[in-house]
Parts: sequence; C-alpha cells; structure tokens
Amino acid sequence: MDHDSNNKLTRRQFIKGAATAIVLPSLLSNQIFFYGSLAHAAEESDLVIAKNGTPSQLLQAAMAPIGGMGRFVKKGQRVVIKANIAWARTPDQACTNNPELLSALIKMCYEAGAKRVAVWDHTCDNYQFTFSRSGLKEAAQKAGADLFSGHGHNVYKQVEVPKGKKLKTAEVLRDVLEGDVFINFPLPKHHFATELTLGLKNLIGIVWDMEQLHKIDLHQCIADINTVRKPDLVVVDAIRILTTNGPKGPGKTEDIGEVIASTDIVAPDAYAAAFFKHPKTGKPFKPEEIKFVKNAYDLGLGQIDLSKVRVKKVSAT
Amino acid sequence: MTRTIPYLRRAIQVLSFCFLLYLILKTAFPLELKIPVDLYLRLDPFIGIITILTKKDVILRMLPAFGVLLLVMIFGNFFCGWFCPMGSTIDFFDRILFRENKRTKGFDDQPLRRLRYGVFFFSLVAGLMAFQVMYLLDPISLITRTMVISFYPPTIFIFNHLLPQIQKFLPRNPFIMSTIPLPLFKVNLFIFVFFVIILALGVVRKRFWCRYLCPLGTLFSIFSRLRIFRRFVTDGCTDCQRCVKECPVGAISEAAPQHYRQQDCISCFKCLECPTKAVSFQFASPHWKTEDRVSLSRRYVLGSLAFGFVSALVIKTNPLQTESGLRNNRLIRPPGSLPEEKFVSVCTGCGECLKVCPNNALQSTLLEAGLAGLYTPRLVPRIGYCEEFCNFCGRVCPTEAIRPLLIEEKRLLQMGVAHIDKTRCIAWDMEKICLVCNEQCSYHAIVGDDKKRPIVKEEKCTGCGICENKCPVDGEAAIIVYSFGAQKKLKPENAKD
Repeated sequence: MDHDSNNKLTRRQFIKGAATAIVLPSLLSNQIFFYGSLAHAAEESDLVIAKNGTPSQLLQAAMAPIGGMGRFVKKGQRVVIKANIAWARTPDQACTNNPELLSALIKMCYEAGAKRVAVWDHTCDNYQFTFSRSGLKEAAQKAGADLFSGHGHNVYKQVEVPKGKKLKTAEVLRDVLEGDVFINFPLPKHHFATELTLGLKNLIGIVWDMEQLHKIDLHQCIADINTVRKPDLVVVDAIRILTTNGPKGPGKTEDIGEVIASTDIVAPDAYAAAFFKHPKTGKPFKPEEIKFVKNAYDLGLGQIDLSKVRVKKVSAT
Repeated sequence: MTRTIPYLRRAIQVLSFCFLLYLILKTAFPLELKIPVDLYLRLDPFIGIITILTKKDVILRMLPAFGVLLLVMIFGNFFCGWFCPMGSTIDFFDRILFRENKRTKGFDDQPLRRLRYGVFFFSLVAGLMAFQVMYLLDPISLITRTMVISFYPPTIFIFNHLLPQIQKFLPRNPFIMSTIPLPLFKVNLFIFVFFVIILALGVVRKRFWCRYLCPLGTLFSIFSRLRIFRRFVTDGCTDCQRCVKECPVGAISEAAPQHYRQQDCISCFKCLECPTKAVSFQFASPHWKTEDRVSLSRRYVLGSLAFGFVSALVIKTNPLQTESGLRNNRLIRPPGSLPEEKFVSVCTGCGECLKVCPNNALQSTLLEAGLAGLYTPRLVPRIGYCEEFCNFCGRVCPTEAIRPLLIEEKRLLQMGVAHIDKTRCIAWDMEKICLVCNEQCSYHAIVGDDKKRPIVKEEKCTGCGICENKCPVDGEAAIIVYSFGAQKKLKPENAKD
C-alpha cells in the first residue's frame, strides 16, 4: 500500500481495530450497542457527546468514536486520572464525580491494557471524609484502582511553568507528571468565584497550595496550570450537574445525562458552559464569558469555537 | 509459681502500656473500634468522682470506673502495679535510669506520705471548685495527654522524614504513600517538661510519683484499706527481711515484717517469694486498722483543704474566668461543649479530642482560658477547621465535657461567627477574584456581592473556621472566627435553599 506513510490512514486503521476490540466483547451481550458503535468507528471525532444510557454505556458510547481507550492507553502503562473528589458530599448532590462512571472509566483503562490506574485529587475537605462520603473510594477500589489524596507534601514536585503567563512555578502531583497517560475527569459545576467549574479548573486540584492561586490571578492560573501536563483525554461527567451554590454545594442539581469525551482540553469546557445560565442575562453561558476558558484558548491550549472541532453526538442506547 | 509472678506483672505492664498506645493510635478516623478508645480514662475513678460531682449529673461513660473501685476494695490496689500505664512508664525509667539506687538506706518517708494526702485533699477541694489541678496530676489523663501532645507529633515527624528514604528503595509505583500532615500542639514543651520532671523524681526514690503524689493512687490507697484479699504471715517467718527489701513500695516495715501497710501495697506479690513460704494472700474480712499509718493531724487536713479552697477562689476571681472584658473572644470551644464554666470543670484535658480531630483543629490552651482552663481544648481555625461531617471529639470525650452529638445536631451548632477584615481581604482591599471563603464554606454562610466580595451571613455561620483556615492572606487570616459566649443552635435550613 502506498498509503502506508499516511498518518491519517494508519491511525484510522488502528482505530477500527481498537473499536472492534472494545465492541467485540459487548457484541455478545448488547446487540443495539454493537450497531451504534460500529457506525461511529469509521469516523474520527475530537469531541463526542453521549446521551441516553447508564454511566458505563455512556462512557462506552462516548469513547468509541474518539478511537476507544486503546488509542490512549497502551499495554503496561500507568494511567493517572484526576477526578473531582474535593468535597465531602454524597454522590446524588453532584459535587463529586459519579461513582459508577469512575468505576467504568477505570475498568475501561484496564481493558485497554493499563498496568495500574491511579485516581488522584487534592481534596478541599478532609480527604478521609470526602473519599468515604462521595462513595468514590469504594468505587475506585472495587474497580481495582488506587485512590490517592494529595494531602502529603512529598507527592508533589516543583516545576517551572514556561508557558504560564502569571504562574511561573508550581508544585504539581508527581504522579501526574510521570504517569504514562493522564486523564482529566471533571464534572461541570456552578462556581461563584469563576462562574463555573469545568475541566480546565479541575486541574487546580493537582497543585499543592491551591489557595495561593487566588492571590495571583485565578483565571490566568487555571489556564497556566493546564500547560504543565496537558491531559491526553478529557472525560466530562455531566450525568448530573450542580447549578447553584457551587462548587461545594449542596445546591440545585440538573440531570443532563451526558458524558463528553474529548482530546481537545478547551472544547469540552466550551461545550459544557452552555449547560448553565448566566445569572444576569439568563441565557446559557458563552464560552468566552468564562474567563479561564478564554485564557486557555489564548494560550493555544485548544479550540473554543465548537464549529472548528469535529463534534459528534451519539446515543448510548 | 511465685517466681513467675514478677515476670507476669512486667508482661502485663508492658502490654497495658502498649494497649494504651494502640488505643491512642486508633483514636482517629474512622473511629470504628469496638472498644471505646478512651477506655483507660473511663476506668479512672478519681476522674469519675470529680466529674460527676462537678457536673452534678451522672456520666454514663464514667460508670465503669466505679467497678474498678469495687475491685480495689476486694483485691487491694492492683491497678497501680499491674495496669497503670503511667506506673509502667515510671517503672521502666526507674529501671533503666536509676538502677544503682536500689534501696541503699531506708529513710523516714512519713512527711512525704503525708504530702500525698495533702495533695489529694487539696486537689479534691480545688477540683470541686473548678480549678482543675487534679486533672493535671491524674495519671491516666496525664499519660494520655503527654503521649498525644508531646510524643505523637515527633513520631509523625520521624515517619515523614523516613518515608522518602524508604521509598527510594521501593519501586515508585504503586507504592505511593503520602506523608501525614504534621500534627502541631502549642503546649507540647510544657507537657513534656512536666513529664520529664515526674520521671526524674525517681532519682529520689523509686516510684516517687506513685507513692507520694499521684491522687488516683491515694484514692486507691484509701479504698484498699478495706481490702478483702489480704496478706497473712504464719509463724514460719524467720525475720530474714527479704520481703522488706523486695517490696517495691516499701509497704513492709523492717521492724515487723509480719505486718504490712495494706493501703500502700500494690499487690505485686513479690513477698510471696518467701524462703519459708510463710507469706500468703487469702480472703478475709476487711480490716481498717493498719500498721505505721500516716499521722494526718486535723491541722494538716484542714490546712490542705483551706489551701485548695483559697487557690480555687483566687483562680475563679481572675478576670479571664469572669464575665469581664478580658474574656478571650477567640476561644472557640469544640462543637457540643458544655457552657464555659462547666466545661473547664469537667474537661480533664486528656487530649483525646486533640488526637481524634482529623484536621488538627483542636489545640490545648495554656492560659488563654485562664488557669482553670489549663490544657482544655479550643478550636484554632488557622491550624485546622472543624470538619462538617465529623463529631469525633464528642464521641471520644470520656467525661462528656464535649457532648456526643449526632452529625445533624452538630452541623447546626454555632461555635462562633466569622468576621471579615475588609482592610486585609484581597477581594475587598485589592479587588481580586478570590472568594476562597465562599467556595469553602459548608453552610452557605458566606455569599459574594455583585463585585464578588465576600459577606458573612451570621445566622448561618457555625464558626467552623474553614474560611479562616483557607484564607490565602499571609499570616493572620482576613476572615476570623470570634466566639461570643455560649454555643447556640441554628435554625435548620432547607437543603435545596
């Protein structure tokens, strides 16, 4: 084949293979799912929005068009997931990740051949209480992952932030820097100070002295910290979101029922911003209205304009 | 058989001390141990008597202590020599430090033995009048406090420094272990020095503290005069003086080894190693009379009582203890604490709550609460805040000075109220987007105005101090929690409000 040197084609072939690998086991169990996935596998997308289904179905559906987990996780690799377990809240309050979805994500990593999956967060409330109340400790451990808290100073590493505009150095979780695959696993929430908590802001939880960032310039720091280790994959947990009293809640919640998978780190935030209504205008947020999203775009971290991204909406069932 | 008894006693002493350490280590999240972690304190009848009298209420948790007292009336003072962790520590240090000091010459310890009763009466009266000197001297409270405040942080310090060294030899993944946030207690040095002095007293005489000062020992002494399980010596005694030399507390006098002072006997059974087997312990009717008793004159007893009375009055009339302007408004008591005056008289300062607090928020006071409140717990938000879904301090308090509350009750209890210093707040003063306090507040008590500057809603603030703790301003926070007298209940809010 004279197209062998063509990168796109080989990738596509690979994706087909990977998708088949994921789909084949489920072929026996779930007929409908099989057809849906096969249709998507032919086309590559940057941002996939999956709707209608259980958390694990949503994740499967969202990952397939993007190339499946096999595109990111190779055999024997260490996967680091930055989840959002900042607060001691129960799963139904939507202040922390959905345990079922986390469990499905971990299992998917293992199915793709991961050697070990580590789930990290530098919690705001005491980690023992957040881990147990959120149900995520149980979910992660049952799925076979290690759940780590960044409460000890020894798990951080001081790094320069060469691309940062305001943030010049930061102490960042060593495992995030050294892990083979880094997955950002945020959930969209209301946030009084920055309007919204989205994927980019979730990475504040890999920093040692988080509160100090507020002193420098929170919006710019959020963008800057994303330059340190760009996540390989963003999986947004929008099954249920918190629309008021964020980020700690409890507040009003809304069942969106979507899981968004993306290789672009700004685009999912641009998409998820529209879940929320601007308090003044009452209209859904435009991505540019969230300053840290705009700042990240200005830094060239990703695409803010969804029309320039290959978006795909799929139904899980 | 009789030869193994000393070894058995040593073993039990070591086990008892290790068990205390185990309980202290288990005084932490998730607090699911079946045995109460404050077991030793609950078995302390001295604390039991004083707290029940000062609280004027039955404390269910302290009732097992009276069982111990009953056992003492049967078997004599078995506690000090066999189970007391403080006694074990003192025995250990006496053995390794003051070995040469082995009863070279006897000296008349009548005045010292009298002092013991003086201290007891003094602390009894002072304690009933809410000056907690006896809590400082109570051995169980003392050893727990010392272990938690003075020895636990250094242990963690060593662990944190050894961990990276050990981790160098391990493959990095998946052996990731975080260091433990170092617990900090302001009064650690004072407590350490006090502990060292007690151990150093062994240079004068073995078990000096136990024999001449310990108020719990004195209480046991008084009750063990009624002991039913008593020592008997048959005519086979050859006056060889062996038991006199062996007795670790000097309860057998040289002049008449057939008799002993049952109140000083710690039931170590060393005298059973009698060459002629003349010594035995048997059940017999109680015998109040004793040999070589301490001559407590009326003057001495009244003097100690009066001294305790006046000391307590002097301390009670200090401005820190009264409703004066000097009352410390940053003295935030743990959630569910009794009203201040009662709190200082019931809290034994054992440090259990300090250990269990997951955020190291509780600190021992030195003089912030006056002398009466020495070593009582207070919330210092800048070090740690009160965790929303935690009620551990009330669950481990042996005397219920911090009432055991349900989580839901505790979440609605106002310990204090946060106030913003607008000249230092970076949102008010420098117009930065901060709102860390709003983000962290668990109770929606801090809202932002239209310029994203924080405002405290006093009616919702519990004074947990998370805002003060997380405030990014250097040094003293720009939002500070103040207490104002008694803790009060807040109105429950609708969760979806």
